[in-house]
Amino acid sequence: MKATFPHLLHLDIALGVLYPNLGVEIIIPPPITQKTIEIGVELAPQNACFPLKVTLANFVEGIELGADTIFMAGGVGPCRFGYYGPIQKIILEDLGYDVNFVLLDHPRYGVRPFIKALQTMAGGRVLSSRVIKVASLAWKVLRLSEDLERERRALRAQVKDPQKLDEIIEGALERLRTVDNEKTFQSIKEETMKGLENLERKETEDLIKVGIVGEIYIAQETKVNFNVEKTLGDLGAYVHNSVSTVEYVLHTLPFTRSREKLEAWKLAKPYLKRFVGGEGIDTVGSAIRYAQEGFDGVVHLYPFTCMPEVVAKSILTSVSKDYDLPILHLAIDEHSGEAGLVTRVEAFVDVLERRKKLKKRKLEVS
Amino acid sequence: MDLYLGVDVGSVTTKLALMDKEKNILASCYLRTSGDPIEALKDGLRYIEKRFPKNGKIKGVGSTGSARHLAGVVVGADIIKNEITAHAIAAITRVPEVRTVFEIGGQDSKLIIIRDGVVEDFAMNTVCAAGTGSFLEHQAVRLNVPIEEFGKLALQAEQAVRIAGRCTVFAESDMIHKQQLGFGKAEIIKGLCEALVRNFINNLATGKTIEDPIVFQGGVAANEGIVQAFRDFFQGKKRIIVPPEHGVMGAWGAAILAMEYAPQKTAFAGFEVVDRQFESRSFTCEDCPNACEIVILKEENDIKALWGSRCGKWTPATMEKKWKEESLKKPLEIEEEESLIKG
Repeated sequence: MKATFPHLLHLDIALGVLYPNLGVEIIIPPPITQKTIEIGVELAPQNACFPLKVTLANFVEGIELGADTIFMAGGVGPCRFGYYGPIQKIILEDLGYDVNFVLLDHPRYGVRPFIKALQTMAGGRVLSSRVIKVASLAWKVLRLSEDLERERRALRAQVKDPQKLDEIIEGALERLRTVDNEKTFQSIKEETMKGLENLERKETEDLIKVGIVGEIYIAQETKVNFNVEKTLGDLGAYVHNSVSTVEYVLHTLPFTRSREKLEAWKLAKPYLKRFVGGEGIDTVGSAIRYAQEGFDGVVHLYPFTCMPEVVAKSILTSVSKDYDLPILHLAIDEHSGEAGLVTRVEAFVDVLERRKKLKKRKLEVS
Repeated sequence: MDLYLGVDVGSVTTKLALMDKEKNILASCYLRTSGDPIEALKDGLRYIEKRFPKNGKIKGVGSTGSARHLAGVVVGADIIKNEITAHAIAAITRVPEVRTVFEIGGQDSKLIIIRDGVVEDFAMNTVCAAGTGSFLEHQAVRLNVPIEEFGKLALQAEQAVRIAGRCTVFAESDMIHKQQLGFGKAEIIKGLCEALVRNFINNLATGKTIEDPIVFQGGVAANEGIVQAFRDFFQGKKRIIVPPEHGVMGAWGAAILAMEYAPQKTAFAGFEVVDRQFESRSFTCEDCPNACEIVILKEENDIKALWGSRCGKWTPATMEKKWKEESLKKPLEIEEEESLIKG
């Protein structure tokens, strides 16, 4: 069995740590490039969500490298994510690829298929102490990769040399790929954090703070969202992203709950009580949290035609009014043009800066 | 006399504005970009130079428009800003109580909401050209009406023909259909103006409160037919102001931003720029499947600027190094081949 899986930011690093230790051979699909997007657009139905197209192309590129098995997760609720797996399976079959499609659906759709899929994904192994040990290391790697990105977003506008910041983060991520024990992991973590701490800082006063909310794939995968967080950072904004794979997994698994998400759902309650699928509620709740934490603005990233996010978008209009919080909505798909997107982000940062100055002046007067 | 220069290089037209310290426009021009932004920019500079006050001195330069980065490098801009900010600041300067700005240019249209002299919200239409100047121009050519006469003709019509304006292609076929039914040119043009206004409102203004005074600017604001269609749309209840300098608002805004920025020493390259030879080259990097299109702005052998490198491996320095290596490598390859042939 040679398995491949979709990319989602640094998921490949964590799975690359996990699988060799389980004795499962995996093929990491090539990084997402323009070619990947073109493959996905060609093969998927035109009206499908953008993440379906890109992940489908990941599979195709993985198969071309020799994969014969596909690991994919399924979704819950009224979001189309639940259909990704079945549709992708049919498309791959129609293309004549002879692959074993392993779909890990939510246990609420049947505990037995869930356990069976999990077992296949674990290389047929049962829960042994070794499996647990390896899984916990991979989990830590995933966590750290997200923490590093969090640091990168926060620091880009503050350090003198952003290129050095990128070098440290990229270097650490590369080293994480080959981690096989706790000790090396800890030393990478400590060295990187120290390196980040030692980066020379600019004298910045009162950075504008921008929060990112939106759909789990588009809001996180910098290779498809035109790296909006980098653009924001280069324009001098402190950036925080509320979307995280770690929190998503925690919230989906039956025995764990994400504290962050529960909090966001509670905040969203006055506006949205029902689960609308995907990250709809999270988007609303996280935007409110950003407003309460004194962020200057929010960027909402979602795939074009994403139903839960469209619901969230119309609700965000009232959130924006009630909390006096500017929100920039960016729908992303294969037709999005980088120039128009950058112009909008630039103008949005200008709006936030001018508002901040005006607020300060008003405070001084009163 | 301290002066400030603003340049706005757009997809269809290039605008320049020369401004004094009191924000008065001393000279301005509105030219066609004609696919060659550098040449258009030079023409504009020549025009401004002719009208340049004797005791004047440029203290700051701002650039905006879709080719703002290119223009900024060529003229030597102190500040490079997006079109939305530039248009907003010009509108606020012209009409301090402005609450909404409509801007319709060649390839995109913008709606800017302003409250208390600060931009509060904006929307920009870049996916579809149905509501923009290029579309109107295209239809004017099709109807064989000079674009300058277009608006006037619309005003002569007594009633409008309803035309589907959601999409350029549909609008065009609908227009042909109406022509074949026997409607007159003026009525069709009036219908087209109304379709464009509907398209603008539907695309950009959903969920936004449009309050007056509205400042209508950009090249299309010169079209009386569109202005009238906007007035009709609001049933005359909203005050719509078309400032006389509507065409160069972006350039003026860039000049104002340059003045606000107040550089210690301007980066302005001087009017001599018109005699310098710039060349833009492009190539597709094939090192990864991203296939970035790299654009290089060259002046003789100097690389002035470089755009398009997504991974950041191409900078003027690395590009120069690559060229140097290539020029060293080339004669060597030829020699090798020759020796092969001989051997």
